[in-house]
Amino acid sequence: MGRLLTLALCLLVLLGAPVAAQTVLSDDRHQWALDLDLGYAAASSRLGAWPEGALGKLRYGVDADALSATRLLLDYRGRITPTLRASIATDYVDDASAGIGLTEAFLEWRPVPTSALERHWRFGLLYPRFSLENGERGWRSPYTTSFSAVNAWLGEEVRPFGVEWTGQRRLGFYGSPHALGVSVAAFYANDPAGTLLFWRGFSLHDRQTRAGDRFDLPPAPVRRNRVVVGYRAQTLEPFVEIDHAPGYYASVEWRYARRALVQLATWDNRADPSSFGNGQWSWRTKFRHLASQVALPADIGFVAQWMRGETHWIIGASPDGSLMPWSRLVRDDFDARYAMLTRQFGTRHRLSLRHDRFDMQRPEPDPLGIDAGRAWTVAYVHDFGSRLSISAEALRIASTRGLWSEFYAEPQHDTERQFRLQWRLRLGASR
Amino acid sequence: MPRDRLLRILAMPALLTAGLCVGATERDGALTVTVTDRDGLPVDHVVIYAVPTRIPHDNPREPAPAVMEQRDGAFVPHILVVETGASIEFPNTDEVSHHVYSFSPAKRFELPLYKGNVHAPLTFDTAGTVTLGCNIHDGMLGYIFVVDTPHFTLSNRSGEAVLTGLPPGDYTVSVWTPRIRPERLPVPQQVSIQASNVSLSFAITSKLFPPHMHEGTSLSWDDY
Repeated sequence: MGRLLTLALCLLVLLGAPVAAQTVLSDDRHQWALDLDLGYAAASSRLGAWPEGALGKLRYGVDADALSATRLLLDYRGRITPTLRASIATDYVDDASAGIGLTEAFLEWRPVPTSALERHWRFGLLYPRFSLENGERGWRSPYTTSFSAVNAWLGEEVRPFGVEWTGQRRLGFYGSPHALGVSVAAFYANDPAGTLLFWRGFSLHDRQTRAGDRFDLPPAPVRRNRVVVGYRAQTLEPFVEIDHAPGYYASVEWRYARRALVQLATWDNRADPSSFGNGQWSWRTKFRHLASQVALPADIGFVAQWMRGETHWIIGASPDGSLMPWSRLVRDDFDARYAMLTRQFGTRHRLSLRHDRFDMQRPEPDPLGIDAGRAWTVAYVHDFGSRLSISAEALRIASTRGLWSEFYAEPQHDTERQFRLQWRLRLGASR
Repeated sequence: MPRDRLLRILAMPALLTAGLCVGATERDGALTVTVTDRDGLPVDHVVIYAVPTRIPHDNPREPAPAVMEQRDGAFVPHILVVETGASIEFPNTDEVSHHVYSFSPAKRFELPLYKGNVHAPLTFDTAGTVTLGCNIHDGMLGYIFVVDTPHFTLSNRSGEAVLTGLPPGDYTVSVWTPRIRPERLPVPQQVSIQASNVSLSFAITSKLFPPHMHEGTSLSWDDY
C-alpha cells in the first residue's frame, strides 16, 4: 500500500512539474531538476534485504518483485554571486528510514583564475570526489543501477560535513593535456563509519544515506561465554558527530586530457572508539583509495577503484553506553575493489560489465571478522532522448561471511541474485 | 596535369575572393602549405601565418573583427586566429550562462556570467596565444591566436591550407598548434612570393597531444 501511495504521489508531482520547471528554467540562476526512478526488482536471496535490517547484501528482498518508486530526486543548483554557488540534493525513498532526506547540501566558491592554478572551496554536507562511477546528478552512475561495493559503502557511511579546498593546475604550457589536482578537507559527522560495514558487510546497491537516516541493523546477539542466548535490536544513524574531533581527507589526482585519470586518496574519521553519544559508539575508520579510468581503443572505457582500510571498534559495547565485561577493542581490515568496462553505442545505448571483489578480516584469525565475496554486474542503459531512460541490470554476489554462522546460525556462504529494471524520468534542467 | 597548374586552378576562386577583401592585385600570389605529423599523416587545425619580412602594410586598415561563440558548452571555433588589433565579440548562444576568462599574458580579461551578446567586443592588440576558459564549465577550452599579419589560415583535414592574396615580397611562414610544446613547433620558413604559387610543407617531428574533446568518450569525466 505504501508503495502505491508513493507511486501516486510521484505521478502527481510529475504531472505538475513540467509547467513549474519551464517557468523556473527561463533564468538559469536557479536550476531545478526532478528525476523519478521507477523500478522493478526481482531478487533471489536467502537472507533478505539489508535496508529492512535483514542479513543479506541486496537492496531488495525476494518479496520485492513489484513496480515501485525507488527514488524521487529533487536537485537544486543556484548561484548566489557569479562565483558562489549552492547545491542541494534531496530525495524521497520509501524503503527503510523512508521519507524526504538530504543527500548533499553545500556552498562552492570558485574565484575566477588569475593564474594557471585554479582553486575552489566547498563547504557543507558533501561527497568527497572519490567515486569514478557516481558522476551524474544526485550522485548516480551513468553505467549501472547498483553501485560497486566500494561506492555503495561510500554512499552509506562516508558523507563529510566539512570544508574542502581543491587546487588544480595544468602542467607545463597552455595546451598541455596534463593536469594535477589536489584536495584537502576537514570534516565532522562521520564517527560511526564502519558500523554498517561490519554488521552488514559490503553490499552493492544504490541506496544513499541521507542526513538523519536511521537504519535497523541485524540484531546484536547477547552472548554468555561466547554462546548466543538472545538478541537485542540495534539501529544506526551514520551521520553523527560523537567525539567532536574532526576527521580529514586528502587526494591527489593526475589527468591526461579526457583520456586517463589516476587518483590517490586517504580518508580518516579520527574518531575515538571509546566515545559514546546519542545511543551510538564511534568507530575509528580510515582508508586509502586508488582510482583510475582510461579511455581504451574502440571507445571502450575502463574504470577501477581500489580501497584498503581498517576500522577499530569495541566489541561488547552496548547501545546504552555500558561495556560488557568481555568487551575489547578489535580491528577489522577491509579491502574492496572493482574493475569495469563500459561502452556507449551511438548516443542511446550503453553496456557495462563490472567485477567486484571485497574482503574483510581480522589480523588475528577470527571467523567473525570474515566478509569475502565476488560480484558480477552487467547493465544495459537505453536513453530515449534526454527525458527518459530505461536500464536493465543483473547482479550476482557470492560471499562468505563469518557473522552469519557465528551470530545467526546461518550457513557461511550465500549467493544472491538480483535483476532490476528501471525507468528514469527527468524533468527540469537537462543533464 | 602539372601540379603547379592544378594548384593554380584550385586556388583561383579563393584568389578572387581574397582579392576582393584585401584589395589584392592580379600580381598577388598564393601559398599552399601542407602540415604532417611524424608519421607523415595530415594534421588539421594547425594555424599557418605569413608575416611580411620587410614591407609594412601599404594601406593602413582595420583588422577584420571576429567572433568567438560559446555554443553547446564549447568555444566555437576552438581556435580563432586574428590580426593584432582585431576586436572580438563573445556571444553565448547556449541556454546556460558562461563566465569567460583568460589569464594569458597576451590578454587578461574576464567576461562575468552572461547569456546572449551583452559584453562589448574586446580588442586584442598583443600578438600571442590567449587561452580561454569558463569558470562555470571546467571542460571548456578555446584559443585565440593573435598574429602580426592579415595573412593566416588553418589547415583542413588533409593537412592543407592555401594563403591567397599575398602581395609579392618576402615572408616568414610559421605554424602553430596547441597540441605541441611551443619550442617543438617546426622552424618558420622564409619564402619569396611572386605572382605565382609557392608550396611549402611543415613536418611536426614531436608527438602530438590528442586534440581537445568537448564531449567525453564512453566514460564520464566529472569536471571539478
